[in-house]
Amino acid sequence: MIEKKTNISAMTVLILGLSTIALPLYLTIVIAFKQPTEMTNSISGILSLPKTWSLNNFREAMEITDFWNSLKNSLLITGLTVVLSIVVHSLMGYALGRNKAKSKFYSFVYLFIVSGMFVPFAILMMPLAKQTAELGLANWFGVILLYVVFYMPMNVLLYSGYLVNIPMALEEAAKVDGASTWTTYWKILFPIMRPMHATVAVLTALAVWNDVMTPLVIMAGSGENTLPLAQLNFQSQFGTNYNLAFASYLLSLIPILIFYVICQKQILNGVVNGAVK
Amino acid sequence: MKRRNGKYLGAALCGAAAVMALTGCGSEADSHKTEIEIVQYKPEAANYFSMVEEEFNATHDDIHLTISSPNDAMTILKTRFIREDYPDIIGIGGDINYSYFVDAEILMDISDYEGLKNINQGYLNIDESLELVPTEGIYAVPYVANAAGILYNRDMFEEHGWEIPTNWAELNALCETIEAEGILPFYFGFKDTWTCLAPWNSMAVDLAPADATKQVNRGETTFAKEYREVSEKYLTLLQYGPDDPFAYGYNDACTAFARGESAMYPIGSYAAPQILSVNPDLNMDSFVMPANDAAEGNTLNSGIDLQFSVLAGCKNKEAAYEVLNFLYEDANIQKYIDAQTAIPCKKGDFALPSILDGMTEYIASGNMTDYPDHYYPSEMAVDAQIQTFLLKKDVDAFLQKFDTDWLRYNRDIIRLVQDYERQHGNAD
Amino acid sequence: MKNERKRTFLLITIPILALFICFNTIPLIRGVIYSFTNFKGFGSYDWVGLRNYADLFTDARVGRSYWFTFKLAVVTTVVVNVLSLLLALALNSKIRAKSFFRGAYFLPNILGSLVVAYIFNYFFTYILPAVADMIGIDALRTSILSDPGSAWIGVMIVCAWQAIAMNTIIYISGLQTVPEDVYEAGGLDGATGWKQFKHLTFPLIIPFFSINMVLCIKNFLMVFDQIMALTKGGPAQSTESISYLIYNNGMSGGQFGFQSANAVVFFIVIVIVSVAQMKFSGKKEEQL
Repeated sequence: MIEKKTNISAMTVLILGLSTIALPLYLTIVIAFKQPTEMTNSISGILSLPKTWSLNNFREAMEITDFWNSLKNSLLITGLTVVLSIVVHSLMGYALGRNKAKSKFYSFVYLFIVSGMFVPFAILMMPLAKQTAELGLANWFGVILLYVVFYMPMNVLLYSGYLVNIPMALEEAAKVDGASTWTTYWKILFPIMRPMHATVAVLTALAVWNDVMTPLVIMAGSGENTLPLAQLNFQSQFGTNYNLAFASYLLSLIPILIFYVICQKQILNGVVNGAVK
Repeated sequence: MKRRNGKYLGAALCGAAAVMALTGCGSEADSHKTEIEIVQYKPEAANYFSMVEEEFNATHDDIHLTISSPNDAMTILKTRFIREDYPDIIGIGGDINYSYFVDAEILMDISDYEGLKNINQGYLNIDESLELVPTEGIYAVPYVANAAGILYNRDMFEEHGWEIPTNWAELNALCETIEAEGILPFYFGFKDTWTCLAPWNSMAVDLAPADATKQVNRGETTFAKEYREVSEKYLTLLQYGPDDPFAYGYNDACTAFARGESAMYPIGSYAAPQILSVNPDLNMDSFVMPANDAAEGNTLNSGIDLQFSVLAGCKNKEAAYEVLNFLYEDANIQKYIDAQTAIPCKKGDFALPSILDGMTEYIASGNMTDYPDHYYPSEMAVDAQIQTFLLKKDVDAFLQKFDTDWLRYNRDIIRLVQDYERQHGNAD
Repeated sequence: MKNERKRTFLLITIPILALFICFNTIPLIRGVIYSFTNFKGFGSYDWVGLRNYADLFTDARVGRSYWFTFKLAVVTTVVVNVLSLLLALALNSKIRAKSFFRGAYFLPNILGSLVVAYIFNYFFTYILPAVADMIGIDALRTSILSDPGSAWIGVMIVCAWQAIAMNTIIYISGLQTVPEDVYEAGGLDGATGWKQFKHLTFPLIIPFFSINMVLCIKNFLMVFDQIMALTKGGPAQSTESISYLIYNNGMSGGQFGFQSANAVVFFIVIVIVSVAQMKFSGKKEEQL
């Protein structure tokens, strides 16, 4: 293929758009380093650099949130949710995506599950708090299980949508070789859906990583915190320590950013291109 | 292949569930000690309470105390209630949630608790009036209160020789004087709707009967009648604030006042820590909102900020009382007051924070009235209605909506009150 | 052979469906039951029949929240899709520092809502009016968040700012599935720029367009975090979304029963909207 030149207009759009991200990010970083006494309501005040670049805010924020412990819980919950989501939701997406066009049953199940996306969490909250307690699931495992259910509608929609692009011919070829449907799925389809796995992973991880309500309601009173739960420590009705809060948010942003960078390579490597079409 | 994979997954899930269920129950502390758990709703006081917890456990062999100060404690408490997982003691505010909890019979009658004798009668009365219908028994021990009025910049006042106003006319004159000197009299943070309630409450206690809501519930009066003067005077107050008060939040207003951008800030004592975090050197004091035309008509707006209730399901009442005794020791209360700029509900000689200097007279004489909004159901969003009113400046429409909404949101409570009245005759 | 396939699909579907029913449908049904009571969220309650539903249709506040939510959802959906498609095309084209840009444009999605709220509040309250003052735009001299007429625009901007990242990723993954030879063939026909996009690229990424539409409907019709962080429903209750009302009055307030009824009606409305929308885009897909 011929090397094309850099697309100038695309670069211009991107750089212009970048300013809408750079300014907030700059403010976040600057505020994270400032002291409460440096906060003002004037524009020059907010834009100015902190008097000293000390890591004290970060240290204090880590102490208040019990950072390593909360991080461990967050990583555990997010990691397991993502893995389970990819396995469970892709299977479900496969079963429904391949059958919903022909079978009334599967088409109903598909709509039934996808419409679950629009159930406001607030209505489920009370009943779920009760139900998880009855089942002995008022802990991080219960939280993970709920996430797998909550994100099922969106992910099933994504997977079954993606499957439309994967021709049946691939499966049929494997079947001729005598492989069972189950084997064919894991050997052929699952790897092909890699870009979609990455998309689902990013979507799910992001939603789980920032979620406050589910752990708040389900793990209430268990004494364990996730990062967003611990970060609530910085705000109360009558006062918010923005400097510590911003420092803490910057810290918790790093793991998910790394995760995204890894996943986006998968999304964009576009294995599908060669394999399918 | 297929079967095995599926089985593994299933087995893994079941196994993990079983492990969790086991560990969930296995974490009880050693069985000789009585466990007492407190959940209190002020996360900003978490440090104080972990200190109390530590000291209590160090001095008590028979009781093990755990205090948690979670964020969004109300949500946590409500979800724990629904799964019937009750702590032994809860620390909440004296507001409508307390009224609901008493009504739901979640709390224990603690009339036999000795420590109640040392509590200011005024605050016990507040708790009693918070009950939706008169209920036999006492359900909470008030701990600390806060007060709302007007915070002022003491240095600025001394520099210009301004006097503390004692009635409505003087307050207006003062604002005119301040404005004439090119200084902004008030700052408001009305973008955060709840702050609209601060001036409202402190004016309403001066101008409307303390039990206005109960009178309305009994059908004896209307808000259109009781709240007209408050509403009109609020609009006057608004003129002395910033041009666009709805652009600024609570935090902006605290920062602005701390930086000397206004001479006064009508808010509660609870704002002091936030203001001082921006400017630790600010010399500020407070005075009672002089909304009444006559100085004698004014009263301090003060309500219970934190109180402790033993839950009906608590199995070790004695141990719970022991914990309460410790919490209500003078030295501990003093530490709380110092850390949170609060007013003690216990009788005795406590050193009050200096920002309450201008209110001590009222506190000492007990001339205090509870926050009217503690009687408003939160879902009626009176704060947002006041914000709407301040934007549209239409007194009649506001009051009319207040009355109709009140009847709608309090339908069940009004029916409860009417049933009670029918059964007990018109006791009041 | 056929049977084996059928059985496998059933073995996959049934357990997962059971899990879903257990933690979604059953609690939902319990919630629906509460909608016929005056349950406050704790303590005892009475059956009130259809009172909550009757109230719902006479409650001006609920009506306003529907209007606000749908207005916000429609406008934000359009804005987000146009911008993220543009961004995706740009990010997918031959540019320098591709990874850097892709990382940077993802950032808005992961900044916590407290940070986003603080920064944008500051922007709308202080920075934008000052800039408007400098260049002389009267309309923007006061904070757009302080005016009940314009506050929704502020919410819209923040929602769009945050959502564009995710939609862009999905469009990019869509663009990845468009094989190079389509462009090469198109190039021979002389299709470039807008024409190339309209006739070659867009039809091929229609499935991703549908995904994004559903994503937008879900995110914006159920908007909650941004409201909570940015305006808390104000000023003058002009930015109360339906989800905000359900949470705020149902959970924090004592209206659990009534707001359950609201949630039930809202759920039915959304399902109707999205089924219609899916049918529509499904037809589009078939046509192409």
